[in-house]
Amino acid sequence: MSRFPPRPRKVYLQEQKALHGRHLFGVFPAQYPKEILWAMNALPVEIWDPPIEVSHANAHLQPYICSVVRLGLELVLQGHGDILDGFLFPHTCDSIQNLASIVYDYLGLEKRCYFFYHPKAPYRESSRIYYVQELKNLAERLGEQLGPLDLSELKRCVNQGQQIASIVRELYTMRSESKLQASNAEFYSVIRQGEYLHPEDFIPLLEAFLAASRGRAEEGPAVILSGVLPNPTEILSLLDQLGVRVAEDDLLACSRRLLVSYGNASDPYESLAEAYFAMPPCTTKDSPLEERVGYVLEKANRSGAKGVIFTMVKFCEPELFDVPQLVDALKARGLATLVMDTELNQGMSGQMRTRVEAFVEMMT
Amino acid sequence: MSLPRLARYYLMKDVGAPALMGLSKVKKKKRRREPSPYFGPPLRSNGRLREIMTRHYFLSRYAEGAKPVAWVTSGAPVEILRPFDFYTVYPENHGALCGAQKVAPELCAVAEERGYHQDLCSYARIDLGVCFSGQTPVGRLPKPDLLFASNNICQTVVYWYKALSHIWNIPLILFDTPYNFEEIKAIDISYMVRQFEEMIPELERISGKRFVEERFQEIIRLAKDSSFLWGEVLATMKAHPAPMTIFDAFAHMAPIVSLRGLPVALDYYRVLLDELKERADRGIGAIKEERKRLMWDNIAVWYKMRDFSNLFAEHGMNFVTATYTDAWAQTTPYMDEEHPFESMAKTYSLVILNNNLNHRLKLMECLIKAYQVDGLVIHSARSCKPYSVGQYDLKRILMDRLGVPSVIIEADITDSRAYSEEQARTRLDAFFEALAG
Amino acid sequence: MTNDMDCFAGIDVGSLSTEAVVVDGAGVMVAFSILETGANSTEAAEKALEKALEEAGVSRDQIKGMVATGYGRVSVPFADKKVTEISCHSLGAFTLYPDTGTVIDIGGQDSKVIRVGPGGKVLDFTMNDKCAAGTGRFLEVMAAKLRVPLGEMGSLSLSGRGEVRISSVCTVFAESEVVSLVAQNHPREEIIRGIHRAIVNRVWSMVRAVGVHGEVTMSGGVAKNGGVVAFMEEKLGRPMHVYKEPQIVGALGAALHAMKGGGQPSSSS
Repeated sequence: MSRFPPRPRKVYLQEQKALHGRHLFGVFPAQYPKEILWAMNALPVEIWDPPIEVSHANAHLQPYICSVVRLGLELVLQGHGDILDGFLFPHTCDSIQNLASIVYDYLGLEKRCYFFYHPKAPYRESSRIYYVQELKNLAERLGEQLGPLDLSELKRCVNQGQQIASIVRELYTMRSESKLQASNAEFYSVIRQGEYLHPEDFIPLLEAFLAASRGRAEEGPAVILSGVLPNPTEILSLLDQLGVRVAEDDLLACSRRLLVSYGNASDPYESLAEAYFAMPPCTTKDSPLEERVGYVLEKANRSGAKGVIFTMVKFCEPELFDVPQLVDALKARGLATLVMDTELNQGMSGQMRTRVEAFVEMMT
Repeated sequence: MSLPRLARYYLMKDVGAPALMGLSKVKKKKRRREPSPYFGPPLRSNGRLREIMTRHYFLSRYAEGAKPVAWVTSGAPVEILRPFDFYTVYPENHGALCGAQKVAPELCAVAEERGYHQDLCSYARIDLGVCFSGQTPVGRLPKPDLLFASNNICQTVVYWYKALSHIWNIPLILFDTPYNFEEIKAIDISYMVRQFEEMIPELERISGKRFVEERFQEIIRLAKDSSFLWGEVLATMKAHPAPMTIFDAFAHMAPIVSLRGLPVALDYYRVLLDELKERADRGIGAIKEERKRLMWDNIAVWYKMRDFSNLFAEHGMNFVTATYTDAWAQTTPYMDEEHPFESMAKTYSLVILNNNLNHRLKLMECLIKAYQVDGLVIHSARSCKPYSVGQYDLKRILMDRLGVPSVIIEADITDSRAYSEEQARTRLDAFFEALAG
Repeated sequence: MTNDMDCFAGIDVGSLSTEAVVVDGAGVMVAFSILETGANSTEAAEKALEKALEEAGVSRDQIKGMVATGYGRVSVPFADKKVTEISCHSLGAFTLYPDTGTVIDIGGQDSKVIRVGPGGKVLDFTMNDKCAAGTGRFLEVMAAKLRVPLGEMGSLSLSGRGEVRISSVCTVFAESEVVSLVAQNHPREEIIRGIHRAIVNRVWSMVRAVGVHGEVTMSGGVAKNGGVVAFMEEKLGRPMHVYKEPQIVGALGAALHAMKGGGQPSSSS
């Protein structure tokens, strides 16, 4: 039972439109400059795992395409995007790349579509230059629909981004040090509300959660979650039931995007670039394996976690290519590992429960 | 690099390889196959192609330690490597070979046992299987000093090469080509040009050779001429009947993919083009009775090449064009040695898989009209997301706009375990009926 | 004989069969029972326990601890604790054969490979529970297609010398492959041999993923199939331990876990 239950998304979005005149943009995973949208009085609404049944999307997508893309397309096809003023597709992977083109080129929607390419590692000077140019280019394109971007507004929104990052960092640190009194389910429920809340609402929520959760965590074994998102969400309550604490994560939807530092540049575009290149390692940026291994091991050391659960979304190539080497490195350090192949919105099957329970039995 | 290894390499190149070719010619003469009732005479150039590729893989065994070795993705701008005299190996070409020789499942299984998921690209699984087991049908692949990748064809090659880079502790250079969601942008071009400039010092360091721009320009010219010839080779299939089938083309594309920028590729396509022009002039078709002309979409189903070739020929159907083979000729017009870096950036960014699906649709419409195509076979390849995602809509739109019937074959490029013969035949039979009726 | 001794019980509720084992205070198995699960897991668990108690000559209140395992472990409210079948097979196999380092369990609906550490503790495991290939179901489907009693499949696979290769990894594809092979008049024994090879190959890749450590013990209903055992031993290059009643290994492990204490309280669901 969460102390901070999420408000119904549709109601919230309608309010944002009606009360604040905000433009709503459906944003597909994963990395994009939300501060630019905020500065143009637009609200990004992230589309990760909408709670809908797939029917239409199968006419467009083969069975071997991941459910993030499938559900995202389904959302568009079912017309749930009608409330939106446009879509934004970051260049996350091959499937999202082609999804963007299917939506833009083939579906004949009367909806503005924007595309954001972020440079891939190994990074060089050219990557940085390009990133800043691409940011400005995006702002220009958005400007045609939303009016020109005010640089001082952008600065203000970068500050909001900094605030959020700072509170999230504190929450993560507290959790890692067993100083957070909150269930796994509640933690992620709060964090993931950032996928659609405006900073004006997200910041107070985070602050309230932080204030309400100071204290000692329950004793018990700790694990790290790795993957795109904590899926199925039921795994969080199962771990709560088993007395297992998620002490850290290596999740694309969470720590990989949220634990950022913006640096001290006065130019807001430079700050955003700083934040991008300082992000934790991620497969969607082609971060080298050494960096990923280092990141997860450091988290394990810091938190005393005994094991890592890889919650993989079926067919997710970027994540699955890194898993074997991560698992090898973790096992070599005596950590238990569990790799789970999951679909979105399918709940927690008996078999999955058994795997997680067996894993916990292994750790204890 | 070691002197003894270098000496051995040249010995093999000048003495060993020719001896091997001589031997294989003798063996070939002994194996005379029955002429097929459906096919026209086989291409004379087939022999020369076999020689070239056998020689390439033979020499590959001796390249390690003799020359700087680079493993290269099929869409990467290899022209920047040639001035440094890298010996280049194309794991995707090797993967196709493994697929054709039907050894993909066992190599993939090696990678799968190490934790690589069965849903991952099978070229990658084969390659990782080769790395872990050391087994390959070509004898031996030289260990690379450099991994050179471009994500213009897909992101997966980078995930794959990243894994290799970590396993072997070898540098990876990525040529990052921003996806052309709409038109290519000036900032995209300048990003790519800068990347070329940045990679030169590293290439110099790994190869031990200095970069000479004139040499680079020479190579671009060579590559441009080869690509142009390859385009001409493909264009001969506009003839009725087409002098070659796309299954032939899938084999004959090996030099333009993996030996581009080397004189051998240019020389080869001159020879092949001459033969094809002669056949076209004399009305000699690849298949005896060309009743229908088809287009193939996506990479080949490498382990079904012969079977499909026979099956379609039996039905009087010839594949006269494909988006896949066309890819190495499409962007030739952008190549310009006078503006080496900028033109290379455009050439490699504007390839079919790096452009939006509208662009692909238009391209296919052009090919359908130019080659007078009656029907389309769409290979929905499990391994290849950029090629496959969007095909269902493509099928529908081509039917709506051009009335072109098509059939989707669900398979994989090399992993035959993902293929059901029964399912494919059922669909193909229906397709044959639709075309005939 | 065990009238006043403390005993412990383990119940393994699978989707097809339910087993119960009673061990004495020293962890020695006193009795076991096997019956069909049917539609009601709780009833099956009750019946299996009763039967084992009867066999053992032990009354219910002599049971000082009871652990439920298996797919239906949540349906055994009268058990004190629940432990997964992975941990139970591991401890069970280790207790029967203390040199066990690897357990291969092929059940009716799933298969698993477990790396066993000191004391029978689980060090690593991998499971196949989404796909019928590599499980007893594969054999069932093929036996039905060939109209051969399931119990005869093993011996038929070992008769004769020839073998036909089944290339499909998917049960559905393999089924149609078998149908065409029959239509092409391949000898039945050769096809059956190929089927057994296929199931072993499927499980073998899981074995390779976990790695072979120490001696190998095979458990689960499919271990009664001599063909699967023989072909797996061929792959391993050495014999495996197979208990005369391979199906009860999980329940035995559960009983031993009951003796050790630990496990999740049964009331949590």
